[in-house]
Amino acid sequence: MPAIEARRLRKTYKTTRGVFRREKVERVALRGVDLAIEPGELFGVLGPNGAGKTTMTKIFTTLLLPTSGAATVLGLDAVHDQWALRRRIGFVFGGDRGLYWRLSGLDNLRYFADLYRIPPEVTRKRIPALLERLGLAGRERDRVELYSRGMKQRLHLARGLLNDPEVLFLDEPTIGLDPVGARELRVIVRELADAGKTVFLTTHYMFEADAICDRIAVIKGGEIVAEGTPSSIKKVVQDQGVVEFEVVGMPAERVAGLRGLQGVKSVAVVDHELAQVVTIHCSSPADVMTQLGLVLDGMSLEKVSSREPTLEDAYVQLIGESS
Amino acid sequence: MSLIRAGWRAFVITIRMRVISTWSYLSWLVFPMLFTIVGLYVLSSGGASSSRLVYGVLGGGLIGYWSVAYLDAGNSIQDERWSGTLEQIFATPTPIWVILFGKVCAGLVFGLVSFLPNAALAYFGFHAVLPALDPWKFVISLGVLTLSFFCIALTLAPLFALWRWAFSMLNGFELGVYILCGFMFPIAALASWAQGVAGVLAPTWAVRALYASTVMQGPHDFTLWWLAAIGLSVVYLAGAYFLYGLVEREARVSGELALA
Ligand SMILES: Nc1ncnc2c1ncn2[C@@H]1O[C@H](COP(=O)(O)OP(=O)(O)O)[C@@H](O)[C@H]1O
Ligand SMILES: [Mg+2]
Repeated sequence: MPAIEARRLRKTYKTTRGVFRREKVERVALRGVDLAIEPGELFGVLGPNGAGKTTMTKIFTTLLLPTSGAATVLGLDAVHDQWALRRRIGFVFGGDRGLYWRLSGLDNLRYFADLYRIPPEVTRKRIPALLERLGLAGRERDRVELYSRGMKQRLHLARGLLNDPEVLFLDEPTIGLDPVGARELRVIVRELADAGKTVFLTTHYMFEADAICDRIAVIKGGEIVAEGTPSSIKKVVQDQGVVEFEVVGMPAERVAGLRGLQGVKSVAVVDHELAQVVTIHCSSPADVMTQLGLVLDGMSLEKVSSREPTLEDAYVQLIGESS
Repeated sequence: MSLIRAGWRAFVITIRMRVISTWSYLSWLVFPMLFTIVGLYVLSSGGASSSRLVYGVLGGGLIGYWSVAYLDAGNSIQDERWSGTLEQIFATPTPIWVILFGKVCAGLVFGLVSFLPNAALAYFGFHAVLPALDPWKFVISLGVLTLSFFCIALTLAPLFALWRWAFSMLNGFELGVYILCGFMFPIAALASWAQGVAGVLAPTWAVRALYASTVMQGPHDFTLWWLAAIGLSVVYLAGAYFLYGLVEREARVSGELALA
């Protein structure tokens, strides 16, 4: 039995816009997601902002009801078995909200331990152990507002681990952390998975998913567009090469010209100071290199290079990001 | 058992958050004190009839008590929404009504504290002015009034949680209760339709008994008034049962708990 499972999961938000003439707006956040995550896996959901990561996390953690489809965690229905499920899962949302800043870290943990209905004799041992484990020991009596950003995030994680959950949901846990704090957190998350917990992690950092996840699903516009191990996702671009160069001023018709070349899969143009960096994914870099001069006649190209694709290239191609 | 502990802890935490928040002293200490001072001023100006005196002194205190008891839980829910903890506490295995129960109790405690100067005045100071004050009936009436405040606050608290805009609407209700329930003057002074509305509000009956316990002129039917207030409060709780079910469902459809 998978630890986490979604079948044709859909979520449509109904909101209203405007104050006087209220106009109904429907926003589809998930359009039929299928997932099966095995016990003990560290599973990453990778996607840009607005892709539906938070929505998916909230459905699994019983905070939201899906519009249709099924979501189960540990064999429990996230819609109807919420009371049994909440005792057995933990969740941490990124960002530094969600803590009582004016109370101490210890008071925060004690309060949530009681809300999680953990017996006091268990709490007495577990809280010091978590503080130790997450490097907060010694600071637990300070008010949270005095904590660094990284400490707040570790306190969040301690809160998420209070009930010793079998499954842990982390929604962009490293957002807003400095690189060192983010790496520390990733190490802890990886250790948790190695110790047997099932971890569901969302991120919009491709390298983060690559660094710690056993498997990844790439989500875009509420749909899963690729799923597998990091290396299997790289295969999306395996039989391709990448040609890159810099140019000043890249008219749209020239981009269209590049797209029309034989074997070209995608062309991305990104502004870089005054110039543009053009990235071309194609089946045969050598052919594209020889034809560049024809399509971009009269323009001066700099730093022309061809290279092997990386996971980032796979991600960019899957997400279709271009600006 | 673990639910009782969770509710108790919600109560303690709400109290602590209030005690460390300097702004909130305004609402539960300073304003009620000002009301009391105004009441004292009315009292000392002399020449007023004893029933006018009672309204002068207790009325201000009652307004303070009601406004704190009723709005404190709502304010605290609003604070939790800003700090992002509303969603966190909602997702725990403790039903939200247990947490709000603790919060509403905390509001009652602050409300009672802010009412104490007035109650003390009624007991000790008034005894000379109002020899008819019946301490037992006064205390029971205050207890019944507290129950009615509790039931109203607990019933409406889920609406604060669910809809941000409920906040301003429910603020209006606070004012309506001052006027309709006879905190400042007997409701006989109101239009007859307003008296009808007042009749279904539990505090009306409790306040009536409270004032009656301080003056002699009757006829008074304390038992009937107390029972009316208690009965109406129980009816509100039945409504609360429905509203909490609604919040548990509706919050999970809209995702509104998360928005700042
Ligand atoms: N409470 C809400 N009401 C209406 N629309 C929402 C709500 N929450 C999210 N959305 C919309 O749903 C889509 C998915 O959002 P979200 O799940 O937050 O994505 P992500 O976490 O990947 O950034 C977005 O288009 C977002 O605007
Ligand atoms: Mg998100």
